Amino acid sequence: MRVSRLLKGLAVSVAALALVTAPASAADKKIKIGVIYDYSGPLAGGGSELQALGAKSMIDYFNEQGGVEGYKIEAIYADAQSKPDVAINEAVRLIEQEKVDMLLGFYSSAQCVPVSAKVDSLKKFMWITTCISPAVLKDRGLKYVFRPQVHGGMFGELSAEFIAANAKSKLGMDAKKVRVAIIHEDGPYGVGVAAGNEAKSKALGMNVVLKEGYAATASDLSALVTKLKRAKPDVILHTGYNPDITLFLRQAKERGLKFKALIGHGAGYGVADQLYDALGKDVDYFFNVDPVSIWLLNPASLKAGLGDVTTMVGNKYMAAKPDTKVKSSHVGMAASNAHVFFSDVLPRAIKKYGGIDAESLRKAALDTDIPEGGTLLGFGVKFPEPGKTAMDGQNLRASPVVMQYVNREVKIAWPKALQTIDPVLPLPSSSPYAK
Amino acid sequence: MEFLSEYVFSVFFVETLLNGLLYGGVLALLSLGLNLIFGVIDVVWICYAELVMLGMYTIYFMHVFYGLPLIPAALIAVLVVAVLGVVLHKVVINHVLGKAPINQLLATGGVLFFLQSIATLFFGVEFLSLGVSLGSFQLSEDIYMSTSQFVAFLVAAGAVVAMYLFLSRSYMGAAIRAISQDRDIMILMGVDANRLYGITSAIGGGLAGLAACLLSLQFDVHPFVGISFGPIVFMICVMGGLGNMVGGFLAAFVFAELIAIGGYFADLEWGTVLAFCVFVITMFIRPEGLFARKS
Repeated sequence: MRVSRLLKGLAVSVAALALVTAPASAADKKIKIGVIYDYSGPLAGGGSELQALGAKSMIDYFNEQGGVEGYKIEAIYADAQSKPDVAINEAVRLIEQEKVDMLLGFYSSAQCVPVSAKVDSLKKFMWITTCISPAVLKDRGLKYVFRPQVHGGMFGELSAEFIAANAKSKLGMDAKKVRVAIIHEDGPYGVGVAAGNEAKSKALGMNVVLKEGYAATASDLSALVTKLKRAKPDVILHTGYNPDITLFLRQAKERGLKFKALIGHGAGYGVADQLYDALGKDVDYFFNVDPVSIWLLNPASLKAGLGDVTTMVGNKYMAAKPDTKVKSSHVGMAASNAHVFFSDVLPRAIKKYGGIDAESLRKAALDTDIPEGGTLLGFGVKFPEPGKTAMDGQNLRASPVVMQYVNREVKIAWPKALQTIDPVLPLPSSSPYAK
Repeated sequence: MEFLSEYVFSVFFVETLLNGLLYGGVLALLSLGLNLIFGVIDVVWICYAELVMLGMYTIYFMHVFYGLPLIPAALIAVLVVAVLGVVLHKVVINHVLGKAPINQLLATGGVLFFLQSIATLFFGVEFLSLGVSLGSFQLSEDIYMSTSQFVAFLVAAGAVVAMYLFLSRSYMGAAIRAISQDRDIMILMGVDANRLYGITSAIGGGLAGLAACLLSLQFDVHPFVGISFGPIVFMICVMGGLGNMVGGFLAAFVFAELIAIGGYFADLEWGTVLAFCVFVITMFIRPEGLFARKS
């Protein structure tokens, strides 16, 4: 009797176990992703929160479609709090305690530099949507870290090229006579872009009259303004977060700094709404170098279907932030770079390499070969063969554009092929900064 | 000689000195309330800059959201932060009075993070701008002076004079000075210490509110705006002699001029390095502060 009861019990247990485990193996087919951005601290309002929104929109979108190749995406969102040490701790926590399969995100280069080395040493896959400093990848030979994003050196070079190409026709002066001032926040992001600014400006024979860094948390930049007034630049190339950008522009206006053009390089300059709210029409005719805002691209120039994805991201953006007047390029940037991963790299890792482990994801990423027009941002994606370039994991086909703010609208000013505006250069006399 | 004519005998050097003076005014205004609180209650409000942040939010919402004119909005901001100062004292400080300084620091440090988080929760992470500029006035062809910084300078100078007169000429001021000199005896003589502490906290909070009004004209408000000021203001108070309002006022100008001049002759960051070096040396030579009276 006792034996039969025991056997019955055992049978019920086995059946129950079978019931639980059988559907569980299908339901458990998921990829666990740690998503790290800054949801608090100064970087949150400077663009990181918008980037996070772009990445989340894409994760939600793929989950709404039923996941990727049968895998549901389980995202664990973590706040780096605008601090590199917190970013490292959160990355390690997500990997070691939450057992995520990979990490995605990162806004600040100051966080990316240490985190990428740590994640690589832990042999985990890291997909960077944003942070642009060359220092993140340059000469580091990272194996599992990939960045579809444009790197900072390209930002810096493009603004110099843009000025040189338009010096004669727009500024009425030879490129070699253009006086260029380079100012930047002193983290890896600002330093990386400024290095590109300086190298290209000098290569093009332009006269770099000042190059100076400052802390993004500075409470006074009047000394910098005074030095700029002494240096008398025609063009200012500025790389900053926020609120350092608005502080600089306010103090520059109050102290009578004049110039012919100002070119920002993403981050704080990419949040047009905040610039206009803080400075009003003074922002008009400033330039910003960034990957093109996805809202500006003609869907016909992209692969079929991508236009609908852009619309979907825009809808989710407006649902989350209904007060938005100018859609920020930040949201589209993270959305596009996340889309590349979920639509191209991840399916290949699962189908061709049989899994979602770091090695499969790495091999799938190295196979990526998306031609121009194949992403929401317009550019293609191709990573270099490991060891063949100084920047393993850097997208070779990424390229930024020069945009111009006019009457609270964003226009593409450069390259010529994508122009939606003939660049207004020099600043018209209506600008308080006009020289 | 060429260096002298290019860098020293130059209008830009004059502008640099003026920059330092005006920035000093901003820092002096911020240091006033903190010094008063420490001088009287003997507790450092590490969260002082976060009270300023809440004052900036108040003026922003009053002016931009509810459409109040700037002056009434500013008065409300001063009142709100004054009340917050009293609440801070009653809810937190009162319970750590007489406790080990490290406990007091941890308590007000906790309030700092609490206020940052509350602000993030309620107001979001966006940078909010008052959208008001007082512009500037031109002193010469190349020298301009920021009106908002000049006003901050005047208000700081006015506030330090007003505080001096209040503390030296009024009955309440005499009582506050007395309790700051000997807490135990004053209580034995029947003085209501809690009331005096409450009034001092309200004045300290009000000064933070006043600083918030002037900072709103120059800076965007966000939950972490205090990071840009808090540490510097604390060091200025220490450099001037914690609790010494006139010392803190003067130290603010020394600090600001060092930052301005250092940043003019070398890279901007060197200005801050120079100021911190002088601070460290001061702490070695005069640990009680640059302008502390000898006891």
